Amino acid sequence: MSLAPAAHHVQESAQLRALRDAVRAFVRDELAAGGFVPAVDCWLSSWDAAFSRKLAARGWLGMTIPVEYGGHGATFLERFVVTEELLAAGAPLAAHWISDRQIGPALMKFGTEEQRRLLLPGVARGEIFFAIGMSEPDSGSDLASVRTKAVKVDGGWQLTGSKIWTSGAHLSHYFIVLARSAPLDAEHRHAGLSQFIVALDAPGIDIRPIVSMNGQHHFNQVFLDSVLVPDAMLFGREGDGWKQVTSELSYERSGPERFLSTVVVLAEMAAATQRGDLAPDPDLGRMFARIMALHQMSISVADALSNGRPTDQEAAIVKVLGTATEGDVAELAGLTTGNGRSADGLGRLREMTATALLSRPGFTLRGGTNEILRGVIARGLGLR
Amino acid sequence: MRSIARLDAQLEQLLEQVFANAAGLHSGSTGLHFDRALWAKLEESGLARLTAAGSGAGWIEAAGLLRAAARHAAAVPVAENDVLAGWLVEQAGLPDDASVVRTSCIADASGAASEVPWAAEVDRIAVLWESGDGWRIADVQVADADVTRGRDLAGRPTDGVKIDLSRCASAPISAESVREYDLRGALARAVQCAGAMDRLLAMSVQYATEREQFGRPLARFQAIQHLVADIASETALANAAVDAAVVEMAAAHGDLDRLELSVAIARSVVGHAGSVAVRNAHQVHGAIGTTLEHRLHEFTKPVLAWRMEFGSVREWDARLTAMVARSDTDLWSFGVRTTRS
Repeated sequence: MSLAPAAHHVQESAQLRALRDAVRAFVRDELAAGGFVPAVDCWLSSWDAAFSRKLAARGWLGMTIPVEYGGHGATFLERFVVTEELLAAGAPLAAHWISDRQIGPALMKFGTEEQRRLLLPGVARGEIFFAIGMSEPDSGSDLASVRTKAVKVDGGWQLTGSKIWTSGAHLSHYFIVLARSAPLDAEHRHAGLSQFIVALDAPGIDIRPIVSMNGQHHFNQVFLDSVLVPDAMLFGREGDGWKQVTSELSYERSGPERFLSTVVVLAEMAAATQRGDLAPDPDLGRMFARIMALHQMSISVADALSNGRPTDQEAAIVKVLGTATEGDVAELAGLTTGNGRSADGLGRLREMTATALLSRPGFTLRGGTNEILRGVIARGLGLR
Repeated sequence: MRSIARLDAQLEQLLEQVFANAAGLHSGSTGLHFDRALWAKLEESGLARLTAAGSGAGWIEAAGLLRAAARHAAAVPVAENDVLAGWLVEQAGLPDDASVVRTSCIADASGAASEVPWAAEVDRIAVLWESGDGWRIADVQVADADVTRGRDLAGRPTDGVKIDLSRCASAPISAESVREYDLRGALARAVQCAGAMDRLLAMSVQYATEREQFGRPLARFQAIQHLVADIASETALANAAVDAAVVEMAAAHGDLDRLELSVAIARSVVGHAGSVAVRNAHQVHGAIGTTLEHRLHEFTKPVLAWRMEFGSVREWDARLTAMVARSDTDLWSFGVRTTRS
């Protein structure tokens, strides 16, 4: 028997393949009409609310949300193939990314009826966007050490503290905040944490940009100064924050965004090779093969998750290998393209490569560093 | 919706039982010999020619068998006899006697082939060669061939073979069959590599848990945990790529371009994963793992040897690049097929 987590092989049904074709046709039309320009790291960096609404109009947002809440009652695998095709095209997905990937499913799992009625229809229409408030200046990988405090007051909770690396907070409507709602018990560090749905225009919220080294602004630091959150916006159960946050990690770690952030760069290298602007390089084939294998693994995890099977280890593996691979693609492009040769037909590749190289350090950090994830894998093997 | 590329638990258990006592290299020699006693057991259990026409077994089962054999360092020509030579003989409509053990090779116009696995230790060789009017096949007795003994870096017999083609009774065989033969061989080696890597992972976990230094098991050191985690990750990825190719092969859809793509992906991924698995397994095991006495080399060496057969890792990388470059579509659509592609 194998100790290596065995992702069972998934073969897509004709229906899923037809769905891929539908997305590809949409992408072709959008590209032809200048609807978007394929971008590196599109799911985090390319914000386009109008594009999100175009997807919503086709039923490609909030796909797994039940129809009664304004969603489409689709399967996780249907959502998987739609997202994967859009990521592969480098389409602008940042506006709805968090609300679609995380908030929809989380509201279905932990939200109250009132919260679902209030938020899910807007999520599915591409009109309500979310950010996530987990990390803090002193709490990165060690999330249980968050210090943002939630104090019970009449009719709600008063939140004070600050959240960092909140992508898109300056453009979103809400963010989900993990806060300490009971004093820290050193013996049970994971107890006493709760999640809250906080409107980003609430009094006491101050959003300050953190500009990335590539000049892009998606990160923010969000300060909360005695922000009043009504009781109705407690998310899930008081004190269950840690359980709720960690229960969603497999979705966050194993998705196609963990190996496709730079696929447009590799595709451009392939196109340049087809045109004869680049000499055929075996490393192109090597990276292509890894991405295809990661695609297989990722869809297997999606299938397992939708059947309720635990996949912590497989999800961690997809993220460790996927984020390293998308970084290696940036590296390969960086090693391949030279400067000062404007007539070489590689202008577009050079541009993408610059973005990719400067985005790359973040790939293996965000959503749990690869060092943390290797620990998760080692634990699964019984080493710790 | 889904097809499982792995065996059911019952067959998996049977395979474990059959291979449990595989002799391996215990003699402390660098050279392997055909384990005839194990072969007799395989024949008894119907595993020696598993996928023969009418057996009901296909590539899913064959892959399980190859994987298990590699996991136990079994010195038997199980891939050569069944999914390669046995298949060729069947394809050409030549008589197939189940008690005969075969290997196979592609010979040049002079009838010479080099590095033919197990040639000196089996009964017959299915020889392919390209003649003036197409490909031909002959089922040659080893006694009628001129065999020069050799070994690969894993110590497995890989012999030089010289055959007098003019004196062979031969039959025609299609170029498509020869192409498929090559892909079958490439995939068989990928499956075997994955099986050996499974064992490297298990051995590394066990050693790190048992061996103590500085007053604690190696497994307590984060640096060691990360080495082993990377073996697990690369092995899982290799398994995913291999399973996808095995499913393509098992489907027997006859689209050799599609088959070649999935086999190439598997060969590239397994080849590079093998680098990490071999390097890290040795690093975890320390000096003892570099000795002939320790069994680690029975699993690291085959990975290095098998990934050199039916095309080097670099050749498969380059083949993928060439496939992508001559396709008339974008990289993603080429790799992820839909109803229209």
